[in-house]
Amino acid sequence: MNVSALTPSELRSRLKEAGIFLQIGAFVIHVKTSIRSVAEGIGLLYADYPLAEDVGFADFHVRLISPGNLRRWFRPQVLFSFDGRIPFKPLPLDQAFPMLEWGMNWCVSGHAHQYLILHAAVMEKQGGSVIMPAPPGAGKSTLCAALVNREWRLLSDELALIDKADNALVPLCRPVSLKNESIHVIRKFEPDAVLGREVRDTMKGTVAHMKPPAESVAQRHVTARPAWIVFPKYQPGAPTRLEPQPKARAFMHMVESAFNYSLLGPQGFQMMANLVDACDCYEFTYSNLDEAVAVFADLKLPAP
Amino acid sequence: MPLNPKWQVADENEFLLRSWDDEFVVYNGATGDTHLLGLVAAQVMLKLQQTPTDAVSLAEWVAPLQQIEPDDEFVLFIEQILTNFDSLGIIEHSRL
Amino acid sequence: MKAAYSLVAQVLRHPETAVLLGLAEWDLLIRQARHADLLARIYAMLDEQGLIDSIPAKPRAHLESADTVVKRHAQAIRREVHCLRKALATIDLPVILLKGAAYLMADLPPARGRIFSDVDILVPKGHLNQVEAALRLHGWASSHHDAYDQRYYRIWMHELPPMMHLKRQSVLDVHHNILPESARVHPDPRKLIEAAVPAGEDQSVKVLAPVDMVLHSATHLFHEGELEHGLRDLADMDSLLRYFGESPSFWSALMSRAQELELTRPLFYALRYANLVLGTPIPESATINQTVVRPHWSLVAVMDALYGRALAPVHPSCSDWLTGTARWLLYVRAHWLRMSPWLLVHHLFHKAFLSPKHS
Repeated sequence: MNVSALTPSELRSRLKEAGIFLQIGAFVIHVKTSIRSVAEGIGLLYADYPLAEDVGFADFHVRLISPGNLRRWFRPQVLFSFDGRIPFKPLPLDQAFPMLEWGMNWCVSGHAHQYLILHAAVMEKQGGSVIMPAPPGAGKSTLCAALVNREWRLLSDELALIDKADNALVPLCRPVSLKNESIHVIRKFEPDAVLGREVRDTMKGTVAHMKPPAESVAQRHVTARPAWIVFPKYQPGAPTRLEPQPKARAFMHMVESAFNYSLLGPQGFQMMANLVDACDCYEFTYSNLDEAVAVFADLKLPAP
Repeated sequence: MPLNPKWQVADENEFLLRSWDDEFVVYNGATGDTHLLGLVAAQVMLKLQQTPTDAVSLAEWVAPLQQIEPDDEFVLFIEQILTNFDSLGIIEHSRL
Repeated sequence: MKAAYSLVAQVLRHPETAVLLGLAEWDLLIRQARHADLLARIYAMLDEQGLIDSIPAKPRAHLESADTVVKRHAQAIRREVHCLRKALATIDLPVILLKGAAYLMADLPPARGRIFSDVDILVPKGHLNQVEAALRLHGWASSHHDAYDQRYYRIWMHELPPMMHLKRQSVLDVHHNILPESARVHPDPRKLIEAAVPAGEDQSVKVLAPVDMVLHSATHLFHEGELEHGLRDLADMDSLLRYFGESPSFWSALMSRAQELELTRPLFYALRYANLVLGTPIPESATINQTVVRPHWSLVAVMDALYGRALAPVHPSCSDWLTGTARWLLYVRAHWLRMSPWLLVHHLFHKAFLSPKHS
């Protein structure tokens, strides 16, 4: 059964009472909350996600709580709870849904060391996948959102999970987080894209999440082969430019964007080296999304 | 301390190394650090792993591989590499 | 007692039963173990018994993830000890490791599946200044600059203010005793230093002798205010006792050393709760000996009620309405044991007064 099988009021009451067990990629996340905006966000953006009610096991138990004190009337706030622990400072109540998204990223990146984890978007097309690591502001999510609206499968817009056994990319398909101008850019680029409510004045500015394609959500068990590593850079007015990057340099950039590379020790090094070895590496400067999409469509699979 | 001391790779270090084109990435198991090395630096490191060596001898050994003269400037360059390696805990003064 | 009933305590007592758990029980076990910081310990126990591959993939992933963190951490601690050895060699002092780093370097069972946030060393009090200077020369610096904190540590505590390595950001605690100067009992640290043994082949890296190590662990556990990791520390105690207890002379040596160092009380509680909660085997001879130092039954009953709660994992599934109170009472008790009353008031007042600045 998918989330979409529940009516909004059923979803709200389930979230409030026992919570729901969302199957997200390889993880089951147990979410409990009585906050309305979170229920709405889940109902809209997680509609195609299966509910794992009878597995009995959740990888992470999270709650969003609005503390019941004076602040309820005077600047209400929201807390993220990881099985009873509060890892972050509270945020304004209005930011409850983005907080759920950030909190889930934190759960995975801080605890799933069975994978090598990179801060990167991952998309796949016809058997080859592209890894896009980038610091905030490089336009990673915008490019990712554009590509998944043009036939690329979304594996993740934030966290690349690499399997220790075979270096395959493991899907963690979630709503794509768009910030500030990107929201408008994507609305214009793909008028049919479904976006959640815009939340203003967060630490990242205005954010809105884009609903992932249903096919990407459904292929949660299908891992992908890494083929390209692309470091994107959005530069207003710049011509579209794809330039090969020396692999040793790419390696060091990948290390910078990894969450747990150093934790994995020698194994992390070997995995990263194999990954870089298997991929063609590029720096990509862009300002025009249509041109960018065309460049990605022309990527050739690296020689084996 | 002699003017031209011999250096060696600190014995607790365990390196993993990969190279692409003329660049190397090196993982040091003892410190958990990863370093990006150019060809000359990598040659210096490999030499020091084999045997304790001083900067002048290193320059004389590496220069022919690079097809250049081991002049003072090159020795200075080698010394800079050694200083870097030292501060990263990769090498230490040899007791030999 | 309450702490013994948690699922995580059951699995620590009988790791072989883990293979019988259903997914819903695994869900609870992983949650309790995560809160008690015992995930990697459970991994290590199951791995030792060759059972890890029989565990369902989902919970196993969490255990393996925790194990990855622990292994990397152990590597970092070894590096740290190596650097410490180099630094103290310049003043001809061996490194005497305490707690976690000691277990790790001596390859003792509690090191398996355990994260230690800092390295603790014991140095002769007369050498403190020299040690501090040598450490500064090798990149460590004091992390407390507040004059009150410095004075507090130097006058009343059994350690210097924590030092941090400027490059590696690692934290080092330099102790000159195992209990604060202000505490009610004063084990003589010279005796501990004299009896210290090499951790491995390197003569300049030492650890406390087995009996002293157990006594220190007991002292730490039952003079410590923060019992958030009580069950984890008790599990350390349990695996030390199971390991050293194999040797027949260990138990009588432990009893006489406890008397010599005035540490019979913490040892009494440590053995009692290790046995009650984790089923640690205690030979009869040791039990009989214990009755001599046993506190009045009414006190034991109160302590059972308090520790029975506080030693459970800090997880909602293991708490009742008295758990918070029990933890608070033990916190106050620990401070009471470590300090004279007027100093306690002064310290708590000063801490409370300063806290907004620090938070």
